[in-house]
Amino acid sequence: MVDQQLLIDEVKKVVSRDDVKYVIGYKKGTTGFTISPAFAYSTEYADKFIFNPLCKKNLAAYPLLEDKLPLKREEKEDKRKIGIVAKGCDTRALVQIIQEKGLNREDLVIIGIPCSGVIDYKKITAMFPNETAYSTIEEEQGFYKITINGKVHEIAKEELLADHCTSCIAPNPVIYDVLIGEEVEPWDLEEHKNLDVLEEKDVGERWEYWKEHFDRCIRCYACREACPLCYCKECMADLLNPQWIRRSVNLSENTAWNIMRAYHLAGRCVGCGECESVCPVNIPLMELNKEIEKDVKNIFEYSAGMDSEEKPLFGTFRPDDPEEFIM
Amino acid sequence: MENLILQKDKLPELIEKLSSNHVLYGPTEENGFSLFKQISNFDELNLKYLLTRVPPKSLIFKQTETLFKFTPGRKGTVTSTEINEEKSLIFAIRPCDARSFKILDPVFEGNFEDPFYISKRKNTVLIGLTCNSPERNCFCTSFDDSPGSTENVDILFTDLDDRFYVEVVTEKGKNLIKSVEDIFEKSTKNDEDSKRNIVTKSVESITRKMDLDGLVPKLDKMFDHELWHNTAQKCIGCGICTYLCPTCHCFDMQDESSLREGARIRVWDSCMYPEYTQHASGHNPRAIRMSRVRNRVYHKFSYFPKNEDITACTGCGRCIDYCPVNIDIIDVIEEVGVISNE
Amino acid sequence: MTATETNSEMEEFEPNIIGFLCNWCSYAGADLAGTSRIQYPPNIKIIKVMCSGRVNPMYVVNALQQGADGVLIGGCHPGDCHYQHGNLLARRRMAILKNLLEFIGIDSRRVRMTWVSAAEGRKFAEVIKEVTEEIKKIGPMKDIQRVNEW
Ligand code: SF4
Ligand code: SF4
Ligand code: SF4
Ligand code: SF4
Ligand code: SF4
Repeated sequence: MVDQQLLIDEVKKVVSRDDVKYVIGYKKGTTGFTISPAFAYSTEYADKFIFNPLCKKNLAAYPLLEDKLPLKREEKEDKRKIGIVAKGCDTRALVQIIQEKGLNREDLVIIGIPCSGVIDYKKITAMFPNETAYSTIEEEQGFYKITINGKVHEIAKEELLADHCTSCIAPNPVIYDVLIGEEVEPWDLEEHKNLDVLEEKDVGERWEYWKEHFDRCIRCYACREACPLCYCKECMADLLNPQWIRRSVNLSENTAWNIMRAYHLAGRCVGCGECESVCPVNIPLMELNKEIEKDVKNIFEYSAGMDSEEKPLFGTFRPDDPEEFIM
Repeated sequence: MENLILQKDKLPELIEKLSSNHVLYGPTEENGFSLFKQISNFDELNLKYLLTRVPPKSLIFKQTETLFKFTPGRKGTVTSTEINEEKSLIFAIRPCDARSFKILDPVFEGNFEDPFYISKRKNTVLIGLTCNSPERNCFCTSFDDSPGSTENVDILFTDLDDRFYVEVVTEKGKNLIKSVEDIFEKSTKNDEDSKRNIVTKSVESITRKMDLDGLVPKLDKMFDHELWHNTAQKCIGCGICTYLCPTCHCFDMQDESSLREGARIRVWDSCMYPEYTQHASGHNPRAIRMSRVRNRVYHKFSYFPKNEDITACTGCGRCIDYCPVNIDIIDVIEEVGVISNE
Repeated sequence: MTATETNSEMEEFEPNIIGFLCNWCSYAGADLAGTSRIQYPPNIKIIKVMCSGRVNPMYVVNALQQGADGVLIGGCHPGDCHYQHGNLLARRRMAILKNLLEFIGIDSRRVRMTWVSAAEGRKFAEVIKEVTEEIKKIGPMKDIQRVNEW
């Protein structure tokens, strides 16, 4: 468990630095098991900061989302650093963005959180559909201890753990300026749920599976907006001339969109699970991401977001890259 | 018409009969959530969930609608799309979702009449279902609506355990019931009381409340308040709050064509996307998230009540449930109240 | 569909194949095949690109959406790329694209890649023959084709 007071103290230290604009972290949400991203500009606000297993949201998207107003005359751009509370996968997202030169390492102060896996919001709300508040939530040896209305519920970790965490290669922050507490022991990696089942199927059966999912996509592009690595200034999906994907919502366009999204994250996706968790119609996007992640690892021995000095997967090649498929 | 009773074991028969001469939409379960789908069989129906994930506005205000077709060139043609006059029926729509049509009507039937919406609206019978157990973010009662309201439906079913209490509200509803009258029974005073009790209990279980008192003038004074910046800072602009909102109705129109034919289509869009307001020149009047988040709130709670005399929110709570960053519309309005009282 | 129906459909099926060929090698190879009057199936429609590295994976997806039953990407042999290593970047991309398509349920044999030099007119013809035969066997791509159902 992350020591809350230690976290708050560190956030206070960072936010009071002259060269820091604000610190991004988590606070309790307004209702049920929600968690809200929080932006501390002052030490007082930092008192609201928390970290518990519900803090799933990857905050790495925020530094790039910052609203930039046109500067007034003589006004100078505020170039101070942004502080950010980050778990393993969040730091991987930052590393990946830094590698792609989307952010500068110097512009961030990273408050690293050793993570032991997070709770899937959809799972916990399904388990307690009508609870409007919880008082505490703690992890203890394979259990989550959740106190609701004075009553303590002990729930086995695997019942609530987010699926993507079982195959997490970096629960400890990859980069950080301060670390809250001790590093955690990495756990035995499991393959992402359902991948083996899908791989066993033949190609036609797989299409039946995905067809049903893609058909349901409402093309809200929330999966894109939530992803820290979908930060293109103009997404190919929004281009009108040429228009790669029509705006009509039907199986053909939806499939093209989902291929486009998954493909553009090949070698870039850090497996944080944001896309799948925001998808309003529960499309198992992590199955696509994790399959690609596996291929990238097997074929090119590459994992995204581990080293900011590395070249991006598709920006480089090796003379001996496999080519048995080439005629 | 007096109110009726339908024994639960007669529901399959009703569904079968109604689906034989109507396109019948009902809530179905899929991948752990609920969606309205065309059904023809009782087994496909799932009444376990309170609200469908995507609201039933999608059945009347379709996500993709073809406005007209064209062929290019000097001899090019324009053909208008035939209006579909199919009779349809939405079964088990919740009172708040039914109310959303009252909010959408002035948009599509007001100054500019949209024939696609109008025909579907006219040809669709709404059979409501009382909410016996509202969920944590329900707040329809803040809008003088109720989990057992008959106001915006043609017929309202209420689940009384082994039977449904059936209130026939409109002419449309009466005509529909007439065609299947023989499977219903007469209701008693007792049934009416049971419904009343259920609704009272439901109303009591609703814990969330939005204070709408004087909201329009309050908002008038707050356009430039920093609240909007603070709220929007955490918005990721995903648009879920608008796509899943039963009253949101932003759309875009685009031409799609192959070499020999094409069509102008209308698709859902969202004011939470920067592209929505992007001009061809590149200028964007709502260039930052602050202005988009603010617009969503103002459209619902200021512009719409000013123009149409109704607040563009039904209190369904979807945007609160599914916003990935906990932008909670009740909370935002509460802050508006706190700030204006300062 | 009954077995006989499938068979008769297959017999008549002439696939549409889009070839994205690089200007410097593969396209020149195709040209050579033409000028040397080497016969190859007419199923391929060629789109010239400056380099196989220019082929955005969305070109492939878009082709499949718009009625192609197969897509062939042609580049220079490794080491011969006019832009030094565009073809090697393309090789990486296509490896992942093919796997992704296969995982989604689109037969990855529909997307092929080849190295053909300007001197290999004969090889070009052979590749086209092989690809056409194979796609004939797989059958038409209907799954993600645009229906234009407006
Ligand atoms: S993926 Fe890893 S770092 Fe990210 S939440 Fe799961 S366990 Fe933590
Ligand atoms: S979030 Fe889900 S529904 Fe929305 S575009 Fe992505 S896959 Fe489709
Ligand atoms: S694609 Fe999904 S899992 Fe991968 S980085 Fe983006 S949001 Fe995270
Ligand atoms: S604004 Fe939110 S609560 Fe109101 S109708 Fe829309 S989704 Fe429901
Ligand atoms: S759902 Fe939340 S994060 Fe998404 S656009 Fe709406 S307010 Fe912003």
